[in-house]
Amino acid sequence: MQPFDPVNFRGQFEFFQHNPDWVYLDNAATMHKPNAVVNAMSAFYQRSNSNVHRGAHTLSQKATRAFEQARDDIAAFINASERQQIVFCSGATAALNQIAFGLMHTVLKAGDHVLITALEHHANIVPWQLHCARYGVTLDVVPLDANHKVDQQAFSQLLQHKPKVVSFSHISNVLGHIQPVAQMISQAKAAGALAVIDGAQGIVHDSIDVQALDADFYVWSGHKLYGPTGIGVLYGKTAALELLTPIFGGGEMISEVQFSHSLFNILPFRLEAGTPDIAGAIGLAAAINWLQDINRKEMKNYKAMLLNQFFEGLNKIGGLDILSSPVHNAGIVALNVQGEHPADVAELLNQQAVAVRGGQHCAMPFFNQLGLAGAVRFSFAPYNNEADVATSLQALTQAVEILTA
Amino acid sequence: MTLDQLLTDTKPALSQIYNQDLPELSEAKDWQSKYRILMHLGRKLPPIPEKMKQPSLLVKGCESRAWLMHYYNQHQDQHFFVLDSEARIVKGLMAIMLCLVNGMSNSELKKFDLAHAFDKLNLKPYLSQSRGSGLNAMMVRIKECCH
Repeated sequence: MQPFDPVNFRGQFEFFQHNPDWVYLDNAATMHKPNAVVNAMSAFYQRSNSNVHRGAHTLSQKATRAFEQARDDIAAFINASERQQIVFCSGATAALNQIAFGLMHTVLKAGDHVLITALEHHANIVPWQLHCARYGVTLDVVPLDANHKVDQQAFSQLLQHKPKVVSFSHISNVLGHIQPVAQMISQAKAAGALAVIDGAQGIVHDSIDVQALDADFYVWSGHKLYGPTGIGVLYGKTAALELLTPIFGGGEMISEVQFSHSLFNILPFRLEAGTPDIAGAIGLAAAINWLQDINRKEMKNYKAMLLNQFFEGLNKIGGLDILSSPVHNAGIVALNVQGEHPADVAELLNQQAVAVRGGQHCAMPFFNQLGLAGAVRFSFAPYNNEADVATSLQALTQAVEILTA
Repeated sequence: MTLDQLLTDTKPALSQIYNQDLPELSEAKDWQSKYRILMHLGRKLPPIPEKMKQPSLLVKGCESRAWLMHYYNQHQDQHFFVLDSEARIVKGLMAIMLCLVNGMSNSELKKFDLAHAFDKLNLKPYLSQSRGSGLNAMMVRIKECCH
């Protein structure tokens, strides 16, 4: 393992060479890709492209080996106990849709409860709404406390409704707050529920050990973890994955098709209809293999240092409402300029080549509760540097000046 | 407050924006001045009172909320609009749009090309953000008022 060297690390992202004037602080939306990922995908297309699992020819067997090796690498990355527990999908949204659809009838029946929190991304709200409404299942929501954190007392109380499924994010995509996820999973399981974790932000921040976490499902997107868009991972315990009715039918996922009925293939193929994103899986494996070669603890400390600097700088700018807390924060700061719309602030930052997100961040219910139009979100990655912190603080100061002049 | 009153109040604001602010905007040297002017001219538009902001007036397709009211004078074949936005830069851009379309006949409005008009005013750089800001969504909604 190599020590984390910030300059060398940033140097591995060609994006910054082509966009030297930009400060990119929209990492919670998507991250940039190191050369290792881009090269692995190009190499696959240029040298090894073939479809997987079906060709009689050697080229297909070679592509299949690379694709299945990616599954093994990802299983090892999150410490899954079996390779079949890694189901490839297009991202966390697809995974959550598969889970919500797939548990109806098999686990969730009319009158049952599903529990989510008020901090969820739309991807962990809408799939449940869609399917709960059709099957007569009730969707309960854990409210937030005064610090915009999931109200743990209310969580315990709502577990008394005996929800069959509890689904929540590891880390809030809006605020960056890290949930007490291990404790919540164990409470959910003690109440007899399946625990579903939206790990879209969680997987980025820290090493994940799914066995230690003991979640039934842990889902994430590749593109937020230095990987390509279009690939994601639905991890499930084998018994939990067996409960899922496939959301998509088609090739690959069947063992026998007749017009009267079809027999499904074994895991994980049963849940991977159609030609998978082969290059995407290979690109994602390249990302995690590259990442594992660097000291992630040092990387995490570096990001925390940048975040601290940013928070310190914010304290010197007057007229801000800072929604995120610096404590248990994964590198995201949501804030507003008092009395101003986040879209205006984001646009004025954009004019200064600082890329942030302004708006509701796919979490409308969260902002409705607070009575806010949204927020401006700064999200950091280890390829950011101290100059990025200084420039973005300066740009924010300028935006405040223009808005309040 | 009625739509009539709003239209009456909007009219002088628009002519002032067109005659005063637009020339100033196209001459502004740095981006800071440009955005100051944009926000300033947005402020000149009379806001739609909260009570009148019915959900049906809401224009979807932007990160900030915007509202549109429409009146068509049949005798003179003229379309008139009033709009509001909770974001100031968007409101400024939409005010410019209003300057261009208010009072147009049905056939004029039908063939109106926003990109072309902004280009002629040297405002094209602002159009790049039109998708996110909802400017295009507002234009679509305006065109839907044609018959």
